[in-house]
Amino acid sequence: MKQIEVKKLSVSYGNFGVLCDIDFTVEKGEFIVIVGKSGSGKTTFLHALADLIPFSGEIDIPENKGVVFQHYAVFPWLTVSENIAFGLDRYSEEKQREVTSEHLRIAQLEGKDDSYPAELSGGQVQRVALARSLAHSPELLLMDEPYGSLDAYTRDQMQEWLLGVWSEHKKTIVFVTHSIEEAIFLADRILVLSNKHFIEELKVPFGRPRKEEIKFTPEFNQLRKNIFESIS
Amino acid sequence: MKKTLWFILPIIAVGLAWEVVSRSGIVNPSLFPPVSKVFLALWEMVNSGIIITDVGNSLWRLLLGLFFGSVIGIVLGLITGRVKKVSSLLVPIIQALRPLPPVAIIPLVIVWLGIDNTAKIFSIAFAVFFPVWINTYIGAQQIPQTFLWSAKLLTTSTLKVFYRVIFPATLPFAIAGIRSAIAVSYIMVFVSELAGASSGLGYRIAIAQSSYRIDEMIAALIVLGILGALTDYLFVLSTKKMFPYLALRSQ
Repeated sequence: MKQIEVKKLSVSYGNFGVLCDIDFTVEKGEFIVIVGKSGSGKTTFLHALADLIPFSGEIDIPENKGVVFQHYAVFPWLTVSENIAFGLDRYSEEKQREVTSEHLRIAQLEGKDDSYPAELSGGQVQRVALARSLAHSPELLLMDEPYGSLDAYTRDQMQEWLLGVWSEHKKTIVFVTHSIEEAIFLADRILVLSNKHFIEELKVPFGRPRKEEIKFTPEFNQLRKNIFESIS
Repeated sequence: MKKTLWFILPIIAVGLAWEVVSRSGIVNPSLFPPVSKVFLALWEMVNSGIIITDVGNSLWRLLLGLFFGSVIGIVLGLITGRVKKVSSLLVPIIQALRPLPPVAIIPLVIVWLGIDNTAKIFSIAFAVFFPVWINTYIGAQQIPQTFLWSAKLLTTSTLKVFYRVIFPATLPFAIAGIRSAIAVSYIMVFVSELAGASSGLGYRIAIAQSSYRIDEMIAALIVLGILGALTDYLFVLSTKKMFPYLALRSQ
């Protein structure tokens, strides 16, 4: 079943075209990763999908979507649990508490309810950001380089955690990154964005669940080399 | 302990130098009375209760003016910073009034509102409004787009976005505005008490001048200075208590 369908999407800032005539479809439950160099328009593409910026063309996407941004995703003036509960107005207070503590568990932040984001590590903050989006029970998640500012080790841990959450919740995910390694480890399908449109599409041959070790296999390296060459 | 010492030592040093210079005959001691005489005058003013009443009167005028000016400054700052239509309507007017030296309105305020407390509080609030407004206005325009997008994706209530996202995101700017307004409010309370009052520190200094009590003038000035520093200190302390995340961020 199709969850996102994009036809002839173009975005420009003034006279400068960033994206041009993009067609794009995503199946329900798929994990899509978009890779590209800095400035290739990955973030712009995601913002257009989330209906945050003006675009031309057609985007058919569920109304209820969660977005995780690279920076400033989490409100620093709210505690962890207040952040997670931010989008839960429609529930009763009791239900809000229930959903919040459930998502504290998902984010592996039990006991940190009353901490402020400034008291957490970078990885923990990004888990709050994802938990807040998930608590809103979106049909799909759009993630914009969420791990761009984390160190390599934390990044690896976050990738495994994200795959765990994804397989448990069966959400469709569109994930943007400049890291080819991250793309291969996470994705069902990788799209390479360059020169205003997708220049390549690859299915990732690795099964699930995926473990860290696949990053050290020759197949993984070969795939990484192929993508690297098509980007540059 | 060491910190207290480093705080007290310079004060003692300045006091000693002051005493020595004043008693040495280099300056006219009736124009520049020694610190001991100033503190004696201060002690008399405290004992007679005059200075307590003056401080009380000046302070509540100042705090009310500060409160009203700040509230209006923050509210208008948020609205003009975030709502284009209101901003194009109001900002030119505010910007035309802002360069006026606030003390220049005092004669007009006296004509309009007389010399009672309402007039003084109005003058203070008027002066406080501008630094609070301009800081809040700039802060509200600089909120990272992702905060606003996150809010928009998670709630449909504009009111909630205002008080849960736009207000706290702008708060550090508003606080900076209020801190510069505190200094302005002391200028205003002082000048407005010079220009017609029967109590307050400004009035006390004017009276002391006309009776040539320079020791009393300096004593009242010292009280005024301590009050100003204390107000800022207490304000910063209370914002850290009320908004604990601000203290975290500055670490």
